[in-house]
Amino acid sequence: MSVREAPVATAEPPPAEQPGRGQWRSRVRRTGSRRAPGRAARQGGKWWVPWLFLAPALILFTYFKFIPMGRALVMSAQDVRPYLGNTWVGTANYSEILSSESFRSALKNTVVLAIGQTFGSMLLGFCLALLVEGQTRKLSFIRSAAFLPVVVPMAVVAELWRIMYHPTSDGLLNQVIGLVGLGPSGFINDPDTSLASIAVTGIWRGAPYDMMIFLAGLAGIDRGLYEAATVDGASTRQRILHVTLPGLRPVFAILFVLAAVRGFRSFTEVFLLTNGGPNGSTEVVMTLIYKLGLEQNRLGVGSAGAVLLFLATLVLTVCVQLLRRRRTA
Amino acid sequence: MPRSLRRFAAGSLAGVLVLAATGCGAGGAKPVAQDPKAPLELWTRTTPGGDGEKGMKKLAAAFEAATGQKVEVTAIFDDFETKLSQRAAQKDLPDLVLNDSSQLGTMVSQGIVREVDLGAIKGSDQLLESALSVAKSGDGKTYGVPYSAQASALLIRKDWRQKVGLPVPKTWDDLTALAKAFTTQDPDGNGKPDTYGLAVPGSTKRGYASWYFSNFLWAAGGDFIAKQADGKYKPAMSTPESVAATKWFRDLACTSKVIQPGAATMDTPPTNETFEAGRTGLYVVGPYLLPRFDAGLGKDKYEVVPVPKGPKDSTVLAEGGSVYLMAGSANEAGQNAFASFMISADGQKLGMAGQKAFNVQLPVNKTVDITAVRKDPRWKVYADAYRDSGRYAPSIPNWTPVRQDTADTINALIADCSLDVTAELTKLDKKLAETLGKQGVAAS
Repeated sequence: MSVREAPVATAEPPPAEQPGRGQWRSRVRRTGSRRAPGRAARQGGKWWVPWLFLAPALILFTYFKFIPMGRALVMSAQDVRPYLGNTWVGTANYSEILSSESFRSALKNTVVLAIGQTFGSMLLGFCLALLVEGQTRKLSFIRSAAFLPVVVPMAVVAELWRIMYHPTSDGLLNQVIGLVGLGPSGFINDPDTSLASIAVTGIWRGAPYDMMIFLAGLAGIDRGLYEAATVDGASTRQRILHVTLPGLRPVFAILFVLAAVRGFRSFTEVFLLTNGGPNGSTEVVMTLIYKLGLEQNRLGVGSAGAVLLFLATLVLTVCVQLLRRRRTA
Repeated sequence: MPRSLRRFAAGSLAGVLVLAATGCGAGGAKPVAQDPKAPLELWTRTTPGGDGEKGMKKLAAAFEAATGQKVEVTAIFDDFETKLSQRAAQKDLPDLVLNDSSQLGTMVSQGIVREVDLGAIKGSDQLLESALSVAKSGDGKTYGVPYSAQASALLIRKDWRQKVGLPVPKTWDDLTALAKAFTTQDPDGNGKPDTYGLAVPGSTKRGYASWYFSNFLWAAGGDFIAKQADGKYKPAMSTPESVAATKWFRDLACTSKVIQPGAATMDTPPTNETFEAGRTGLYVVGPYLLPRFDAGLGKDKYEVVPVPKGPKDSTVLAEGGSVYLMAGSANEAGQNAFASFMISADGQKLGMAGQKAFNVQLPVNKTVDITAVRKDPRWKVYADAYRDSGRYAPSIPNWTPVRQDTADTINALIADCSLDVTAELTKLDKKLAETLGKQGVAAS
């Protein structure tokens, strides 16, 4: 019973996650979209009835998402001076941010961090899911325990990891790696290891979320396939390779988009652990935008950076969707 | 592109264009009808609900009792400037803002403060020249009225210093020697090498690394940017003096290793903790931390002395708070009256009263003697440092990027000991030149 409950509890992403809606949409499209026009014609009804039902959500999204997004787009072409009135500067903000070395290096760090966190979380999440899949009551307790990092506020997570990453040999993690003769490492204080350290923190936090979605996917795989494979003499490794992984393909696609978007938007952990330092080694696009827009009060340039980040995320999402569609077609 | 996707793209583009048309309101400030009875809205940058807010409310109440003029106090700490920008966008600014004196350039360039007519501010002739100078922007006009000042001094763990048997440092060499002794001689006697010399908030956050380093940079005769004869600025971080100061500071982290580990990612709260918890024994800070350390560490455990003299002189960073008279107020007479009250002898004394989180650190009014108000001799150290050696950050249109860029480099140098100091500082100067150029204050 608990396995059936898990997907219900986790298939619902936090309300702010846009890709969550994509996930829902794609599922609808897969199961029902082809029949939908026929059904609508059959039932008749006024054209505006569906819009009426959508209105509360649409109004909220318009005010809290679409208008701010539009404003950011407008501001990205302006020199923003809230009191004196903004002036149009055309593409100057874009050319400034694109030509700045700090943006390019932040972009590189963001991509590296996103890739590291995405694949790290997926791998760890998948392993965890395989380990805790099952129906006994004890497992449901362990699943809840494993999910805890997702629930803990990021500020607390960052503070915990800062303590664990203490750069001297009596630091918590340094003691651990000292047992196998390594270290002491500077972790977040050393430009060579800082980005990896932040990625590890992100993976620790992100993996359980992925685990839950994997569990939902695992529950959807026909048990009969496993039985058939076992009858055919497949080993555990072969069962995972030829039954589990293909069965999880749609889950992988969704997770990839979710995790990549999360990776691109990484802010809190970087802001709290290193704020882009040391030597810019962990500066990501989000922290750079924050510094430009909110610390230096150059909202125009900051908005230009935000628009570029949005475009990158959009392109990535569309690419993944197109790839998926081609494969399923 | 599938049709649905195309339709979506077209739709969102249309929506954005509509927003673009409506999104930009007409700008510019218009003269506002004056009402000398209108209540004054005051914003102060301090923690809501904290002692700073209580003190401010006390000052506002005293002002109201003296003049009958109502003042509504709002305390905001996080994202103060962002929230102010939001009010600016609504063209409805608070009447008064109490914030760092170093915000002047930013606020002037945003056009959200009005020029101050010193003739209309009673008692402005009693202001210290140094404090008044920080209220002048690059164009020579006065914006804002400074009401509080502060400078840096050196805090030393007294018990540690006595244990290692060294005198109070007078020069940078003494300072290094003391820091080394604190790091190597186990001054807390717990048998573990877990103590360090100098506490450094070396994070890039809000430019802390640069803010802290300025004490040493200026004392060595170096500078971030140097004012030229035409009133414009040239980057100065690669001058021999600046390079020498940076090398000395960097050696504390890389060669003698007397700075606390993890300094590169620490802003002030964790750094304060290292001093408080007995992990560092030297800390260069302003007087606002004394109440905290008195309570957390004990008044008898540490001493407050002037920052040791550098290769050139004893210059330390001066900072302070100013009353900004915001643009578009319906009660300019009330704004002037409040500023006059804040710098009056009574206002200054009331602002200094109390044991913690005072609104006035050091008085800016010449007629107010700090020793008469605060018996604690440690305050005199700060007052002397401010009067004799205090130096403010220059009033360029936007100081934040300069502070941020230098903080990035200083942070890099203490985090990565393999970097070449001169090369990094030359790179920094190129960046600073760009920043100054963007603000229109670069000397040719």
